[in-house]
Amino acid sequence: MNALLPLFRANYREFVRDRTALFWTIAFPILFIGIFGIVLGRGDDGASYEVGLVVEDQSPQAATLREVLAGFEALELTEGERESEIGMLAEGERRAVVVVPRGFGPSINRDAPLPLQVHYDPSQQTTQQVVVPVLLRAFEVADRALTRTRPVVTAEFQTLQSERLQVIDFIMPGLIAMSVMNGGVFGAIAMVSLRERRVLRRLSATPLPAWALVGADVAFRMVVVLLQTILLVFLAVLIGGVSVKVENLPALAGVAVLGGLAFVAIGFFLGAFAKTEQGFFPIAQVITFPMLFLSGIFFPLDTMPDWIRPLVSAMPLTYLGDAMRQLMVGGAPVHSMTLNLGVLAVFLIVFFGLAVRLFKYE
Amino acid sequence: MPVIEVRDLRKAYGDLHAVAGVSFDVAEGEVFGMLGPNGAGKTTTVEILEGLRIRDSGNVRVLGLDPAASGRELKRLVGVQLQQVALYPRLRVHEVISLFGSFYERQAHTDDLIAMMGLEDRRNARISELSGGQAQRLSVALAVVNEPQLVFLDEPSTGMDPQARRSLWDTIEGFKADGMTVVLTTHYMEEAERLCDRVAVMDHGRIIALDRPGALVRESFAEDAIEFVSTDGLTAEDLGGLASVTGATSQGSAHSVFSSDIPRTMGSLLALAQERDAPLESMRVRHATLEDVFLKLTGRTLRD
Repeated sequence: MNALLPLFRANYREFVRDRTALFWTIAFPILFIGIFGIVLGRGDDGASYEVGLVVEDQSPQAATLREVLAGFEALELTEGERESEIGMLAEGERRAVVVVPRGFGPSINRDAPLPLQVHYDPSQQTTQQVVVPVLLRAFEVADRALTRTRPVVTAEFQTLQSERLQVIDFIMPGLIAMSVMNGGVFGAIAMVSLRERRVLRRLSATPLPAWALVGADVAFRMVVVLLQTILLVFLAVLIGGVSVKVENLPALAGVAVLGGLAFVAIGFFLGAFAKTEQGFFPIAQVITFPMLFLSGIFFPLDTMPDWIRPLVSAMPLTYLGDAMRQLMVGGAPVHSMTLNLGVLAVFLIVFFGLAVRLFKYE
Repeated sequence: MPVIEVRDLRKAYGDLHAVAGVSFDVAEGEVFGMLGPNGAGKTTTVEILEGLRIRDSGNVRVLGLDPAASGRELKRLVGVQLQQVALYPRLRVHEVISLFGSFYERQAHTDDLIAMMGLEDRRNARISELSGGQAQRLSVALAVVNEPQLVFLDEPSTGMDPQARRSLWDTIEGFKADGMTVVLTTHYMEEAERLCDRVAVMDHGRIIALDRPGALVRESFAEDAIEFVSTDGLTAEDLGGLASVTGATSQGSAHSVFSSDIPRTMGSLLALAQERDAPLESMRVRHATLEDVFLKLTGRTLRD
């Protein structure tokens, strides 16, 4: 079928010559990322990481531990009160806070060592990958320094979502997932418009098979989704200072396309209920708008009330956002990757099937 | 063998019998007209022949193919112009022509089509910038982008000014000269009279008359007509009683009186008007047309 390329080109021309569509699909997410990046972005990560130390125990063992930790150059140690240090963590001023609990020294002497408490933000990739291993290494060294053969320094890691540091890494993959959703669902508007203008009717009077028409359109939407994703990842790094897992980028592109296909299928499905371009907008808004706020794009899922969970679980953006967050910044998984991809594939198959059944040339 | 054979074709939408038993043949190289008001069933009939709609019953063969069964094969061979297609608003004229050309194995040269439809100076214009008449010419060009043996034109001159319409007629005569068979729906009498070898007059889903345009007129009216406007005083009955009158039709205050002897009818009409003190305005004598045929057959005008 040598009509695929001309159709693709027609889609491209229609797209780039439509300033409004161009704005919504490219400029709008860029503005979003830009604003979030500037407001929430963090500066450069130094070579050392600020770690708060709270020593509530006056024993010599606690002093040894302090010395050992201070000996690690990667850790920029600040000692303080528990409350204020944890406050600093929450504000993003600390990567982690190590608490040496009261009775730590005596507990070692009693042979029932109390664990250290380590507070940190798990969605922080550098913390997860650098600070935690450094701390563990420090505890091992401390163990030996305390001249015990079996481990006495153990740590209880307690996670805390810090605000400033966490939000940008959390939101960027979500914004990209959002733009994939919008690119997919609102991309279907082109088809609605062609039907409204009776172009589909006219095309049905040619030997062009429906699959070529739909295929060229979907292929074009996917190229848009991919370019958009690449651009946004780039901007997230540049403006937002998000540290992206480079090795996951091909997988991220794959997930963007899978998500894009699922959302295009949903868009085509919704398009079957709209006679006009004007009529399509509210329908698409009603579907996409709640997802923005309930799919963990802007607000973490664990802050949502229980009664809303079933709704959240029914939203494809929940799974796309989670998959992208895991791949892009190594965010803590809400669902397994298999579940995320599986659900997106199911959405794709079900809605594409429905869209094909409901498809009308006029 | 006829290019198109239709036997007892029927298509209903719920209670509406859009096509209620239509039969006709179209011969190769013929320009076949379908004339009738909106809703007469012309477009439905044509779209069944094009393979765009599926008939309820009846037999249809187009170029020897059943459009319902061999739609794709048929669509390769025929050209189609539909009503009210807006096309891709942001593509340029030449881009749309090459796009449609790419759907076919056989394609005419884009610039030849542009020249044929007189769109040279609009070659790079976007579709959204075209006037109604230009868009209509483009849609006719698209109908022959695959150099078809058979082309369906559904009200091709709608929205055109008289000059553009005449140039379209030249183009359609060119199609015929090239050996193309043309099926044309219209509600313009003049168009049907000028272009069509034969005309099927449709109303309420049926063909109520089918013949050469001249024969249709002669069959219904062996006479000329006196046409005038009279705001009061004269009824159709009065007019029917005038000397040498063979028929009379009225549309509100506009009357047409058909006569086998114009001077005698005219004399008695003037006498009657004087007697009743009825005004006679815009009076003229003309030949009977397909419009009269249609009005006589259906009691309605084509643009009702």
